[in-house]
Amino acid sequence: MTVPTEHLLILAGILFAIGVGGFCLRRNLIVVLMSVELMLNAANLTFIAGSRHHSALGDPALDGALFAIFVIVVAAVEAAVGLALVIALYRRKQTVSLDSLDELGD
Amino acid sequence: MPHTDWLWWLLLLPLLGSAACGVLHFLTLKARRSDANAKGPSALAWPIAAGAMGAAFVISLLALNGLRALDASARVLESSAWSWIDTGNMAIDVSLVVDPLSSVLLLVVTGVGFLIHVYAGGYMKGDPGYAKFFAYLNLFVAAMLMLVLSSNLLGLFIGWEGVGLASYLLIGFWYEKGWPAEAGQKAFVVNRIGDACFLIGSFLLVQLFGTLDLSDIGTAVPALLTGGEHSFQLALAALLLFGGCCGKSAQLPLFVWLPDAMAGPTPVSALIHAATMVTSGVYLVVRLNPLFAASPGILFFIGVVAAATAFIAGTSALAQRDLKGVLAYSTVSQLGYMFLGLAAGAWSSAIFHLVTHAFFKALLFLAAGSVIHGMHDEKDMHKMGGLRRHMPRTYVTFLAGAAALSGLPLLSGFFSKDEILAMNFANGGMYYGLWAVGVLTAAITAFYSWRMVGLVFFGEERFDAAKVHPHESPGSMTGPLFVLAFLSIAGGLIGLPPVLHLPHVLHSWLEPVTAPGTAILHGDHAPHLSHAAEWVLLGLGSVIALVFAHKGFYAYKNGKEQDAAFAAKQPAVYAQLEKAWSIDRTYTFWIVQPIKLAAFVIAVVVDQFAIDGVVNGAARLARSSALQLRKLTDGGVANYGLWMGAGAAVLAVIWIAGGAA
Amino acid sequence: MANLLFYLMALGAVIGSLGVVSAKNPIASVLSLLGTFFCLATIYLLSGFEFLAAAQILVYGGAVMVLFLFVVMLLNLGSEEGEGSPLEFVRRRGAPIAVATSVGLVVLTFVGILGAPEVRAAEFVAAAPASFEDIATLLFGSFLLPFEVVSILLLAAAIAVIVLAKRERGTAVAPTGEATK
Repeated sequence: MTVPTEHLLILAGILFAIGVGGFCLRRNLIVVLMSVELMLNAANLTFIAGSRHHSALGDPALDGALFAIFVIVVAAVEAAVGLALVIALYRRKQTVSLDSLDELGD
Repeated sequence: MPHTDWLWWLLLLPLLGSAACGVLHFLTLKARRSDANAKGPSALAWPIAAGAMGAAFVISLLALNGLRALDASARVLESSAWSWIDTGNMAIDVSLVVDPLSSVLLLVVTGVGFLIHVYAGGYMKGDPGYAKFFAYLNLFVAAMLMLVLSSNLLGLFIGWEGVGLASYLLIGFWYEKGWPAEAGQKAFVVNRIGDACFLIGSFLLVQLFGTLDLSDIGTAVPALLTGGEHSFQLALAALLLFGGCCGKSAQLPLFVWLPDAMAGPTPVSALIHAATMVTSGVYLVVRLNPLFAASPGILFFIGVVAAATAFIAGTSALAQRDLKGVLAYSTVSQLGYMFLGLAAGAWSSAIFHLVTHAFFKALLFLAAGSVIHGMHDEKDMHKMGGLRRHMPRTYVTFLAGAAALSGLPLLSGFFSKDEILAMNFANGGMYYGLWAVGVLTAAITAFYSWRMVGLVFFGEERFDAAKVHPHESPGSMTGPLFVLAFLSIAGGLIGLPPVLHLPHVLHSWLEPVTAPGTAILHGDHAPHLSHAAEWVLLGLGSVIALVFAHKGFYAYKNGKEQDAAFAAKQPAVYAQLEKAWSIDRTYTFWIVQPIKLAAFVIAVVVDQFAIDGVVNGAARLARSSALQLRKLTDGGVANYGLWMGAGAAVLAVIWIAGGAA
Repeated sequence: MANLLFYLMALGAVIGSLGVVSAKNPIASVLSLLGTFFCLATIYLLSGFEFLAAAQILVYGGAVMVLFLFVVMLLNLGSEEGEGSPLEFVRRRGAPIAVATSVGLVVLTFVGILGAPEVRAAEFVAAAPASFEDIATLLFGSFLLPFEVVSILLLAAAIAVIVLAKRERGTAVAPTGEATK
């Protein structure tokens, strides 16, 4: 594949932006967590793009790919813990709407 | 240097008296808190204050004696307390100097002051602020003595301001009535204008001479005169110092405070606004006579202002109904005479008139106070009349004062006034004009003096005999009146004219002080009047005084109808005279009202709306923005997420833009 | 050919992510995300990172998405109440800012990327796929520490999840979502 690196990065940027939009706009906590996953994937794509770019230019660098592996692992962990929190929240409030989480305010 | 530290008691005694009376006043206030009618210890204030004055008078006599023991060319007693300002270029000490000029002033201030203190004890009896009054009065004397005794212009200025303060406090003594407080404020503000000129003048003097020591300035003037490049600065300094005199001594542009100052108690009017404070301008000029002599043009200008002042004030006195008002305008007019004398280079003549004026004007004020006191605070002459039967002693002494004021022959006022007019005549040239105005004013003076006598003491009684019972004043008040009456009659003996071939005591006494100025002004050929001219002038003066006194007396001795007749014949003129040529009204309209308007605008519009608006608005802005920002932390997770996202985006911008740059 | 596939997958990813963000039904969101993951895995494959592509599908698609599905079904979440159209949330207070943020990021991406000269490569040669040996060497070689740390992290996460999601004594989560004591 000889797609220029910019295009990969542009795609990553778009995915990230959509993730931000979802993070800020949706009320459902689970959808918010999924938006976070989306952002992490966009970051992963960026790492891959970098690694690929350097490899193609004759400087083999797999660091990006490895980083992406670790990101995947940590993202999985975060998703698990986040969903556990969602369940704990649901137990108290019987809803997963973000609007119910206002006890920190006055 | 002989041991002269006792001179400081001249200042300390009145100051201590003032402090003691102040303490008495506060004790009285404390006593009154428990019992509203308690008298407290305030009755002690009179002996303390009068005692301080009496002791000061004795010390003044001792100082005079000390001076007489010295040789005429070195008649100076000095006492230096400490070195105050020492800046390398200029050194100012706190020190006192007594020389012939200040000894004369000392005797006048302490002597007349003592008599007035004695009088005031009876006059102010029953007033709730009895002790406070004497505290202020002694404070005034202390400041006046500082003015007279100081060896440098800065100490003099301290005294100058001090008497202004005391004047303000005393004019507004009965401030509860309202208008005395305004009168006091007016006096202070108008004086301030003069003081500003004084200060700028003294700055110029520092620049010219590098010192503020009065005798040093005097001796340094002739050196600066050679060459002529300093003449403008010297003239400007003299002019500015005269500006200060205009304020303090109530000359033409700045005299408007003096008639209003009659709102104060009569002893105050007598002491401050007749005998002593208002004469400090004259003292200043004589003290610095070399400086003024160096600018003959300025001297003539002073003469013009003085003549105009004398004339305007004298004519205004013709139409006043308030007894003290006549005397106030009369004081302004007589001060004009003193400055007229100064303008002709007749330094000692001006001092002579200062002394005689202190005698007869204080007498007139005190006698007027006695009349007002006896008439239960009635001041309108149209409501008096025929009082000579009820208050004989006051009547007799008032006659003496009026006679001296109008310049009836052989009385004190005659000699001093004649001397001034003669010196103006002798200078010739443009001074003839000043002389003519002086003569005219003398006629007017005689007229209004005897108008007073006629309206108050003669004719039928125009007051309601059932309600008002005029009575003679107690001995404590009439005693000083007699002393002053004697001085008014016999006071001329210290200044007899040369044609009589009798020594002019005052002139020769003041010679060491006035000689430098005369030398600068006239060199070797002082203006000289032939004996014949002198006799003619003496005769002219006598005739005018007698004729116009007679006219004034006969016009009014039967009643007040002459005033109404005058008003009917010349209504416009009469109206103008009554309001002192509307000068005060002009000031109020063109200067005071715009300033008050500007003050109102600044206070309300600028300060309240604009500045407070900005300050309060800033506070309100902070508060409202805080309220808005508060909504960021409403606890909603979505909200937090939103702002985190926005913040991250901003950071991204900064990193990328920063990295790209 | 590969390029065309890339652009197709890219398009798919974008559509999927839009679906995640705008779907009413959470199940639809989950499935859109799954689709996005598949597209991304394909892109990784096209870029020559086979192991990563496999990891993406196995971990993300097989574990994380399944977990999401379990939770959604466990909590019996239906469509969000009151949300009429997918763009209902635009009317919310913070919507303009969020939209502006997102759009801004996209613009930024374009500007940043297209403006930087080094990124443009005149000739781009497709590299050989990374071999498993290389990845393993790196993973157990220079990246050993992160590897071990991540395993501890996984352990901690497992414990945390158990603690967090543990039922409190006597509280049961009924299918209707009501807690009964």
